[in-house]
Amino acid sequence: MGNLKTKIIGVITAALIFISLYLVFGYARVEGTMLEVQKIFYYHVSAALTVFVAFGVNCVFSIKYLIQRKPNDDLLAAAAAELGIIFCTIALLSGPIWARYAWNTWWNWEARLTSTLVLWLMYVGYFILRSALTDDKRRIYSAVIGIIAYLDVPIVYYAVDIWQGGLHPDRGTKWSLETTMRHTWMVALLALISLFVCLLIVRYKMKKAEMRYEIIQQKYL
Amino acid sequence: MRTSTIVLASFVVILGLFLFATQVPINLTPDKVAAAVSEAISASEVPVDEEIVEQAVINSLTILEKGQRTRLTYLFAAYIVIWLVFMLYVLRLEQQQQQLDQRLAQLELISNSEE
Repeated sequence: MGNLKTKIIGVITAALIFISLYLVFGYARVEGTMLEVQKIFYYHVSAALTVFVAFGVNCVFSIKYLIQRKPNDDLLAAAAAELGIIFCTIALLSGPIWARYAWNTWWNWEARLTSTLVLWLMYVGYFILRSALTDDKRRIYSAVIGIIAYLDVPIVYYAVDIWQGGLHPDRGTKWSLETTMRHTWMVALLALISLFVCLLIVRYKMKKAEMRYEIIQQKYL
Repeated sequence: MRTSTIVLASFVVILGLFLFATQVPINLTPDKVAAAVSEAISASEVPVDEEIVEQAVINSLTILEKGQRTRLTYLFAAYIVIWLVFMLYVLRLEQQQQQLDQRLAQLELISNSEE
């Protein structure tokens, strides 16, 4: 039953991705200033928002682990953090390509870019810490790091308001998009969140299997 | 079917979809340009040098096409990067799954031999 559910989510995710790609390239109106390059927005911004969801899941299950001390919560938190890094990498790599055309620079140390890079580095640190520790120590320390690292998420989100004068547009820009653009962005966001859920289930199951293997190995070998 | 095959197939489909959807929307050929120029000149009330107008139109089209090529290159690069990251991640997951399967098979073999 569990596998069937995963497969259903996988099929829905694949369908959403194909629909969103059709909408991006075939339906959404070409924006007047940046023309075709603006189409990077749909996956770049959606990936960035999925990062918040992923690290949010990590934070919730890190707190849950610290309260209940169930190893499965730690595994789910780690799986979410791993996916958060993947989505953050996508946002950090697709952003400069867009920036090169729009701002004539690959990178700028403005507030949102810098805080996003800091966020990425913190979760990379989370995994370095996990690989350096074992068992309970690993779970407790990484849960604490996960919670602390999540504090950077609101900083990233509100960076354009806190440090004004950056290159990123206001937070509300995406909501004032033209109708076809807004619909396309919403479907792209839904597709990436669905992809995150799908990969999270797969990664969590793998981590669980790895943990079981290690337990059996320690007990019998 | 192997995950890598699915990922590669999806990549090819997405690439196809991208190439299909980002074609130049108006297909302007030199014949069409020449026809439009001569039509505009014939409709003009003042005398116009046909060669100069045609050259100006061709130059404008070249600039527009170059601009569009540049923009599509950026768009293409961004989506390729996005898919590359996902593809590499899924391939890594598949590799890890295979290693885990191998380890489990070894464990089963050991437990069977002990029995």
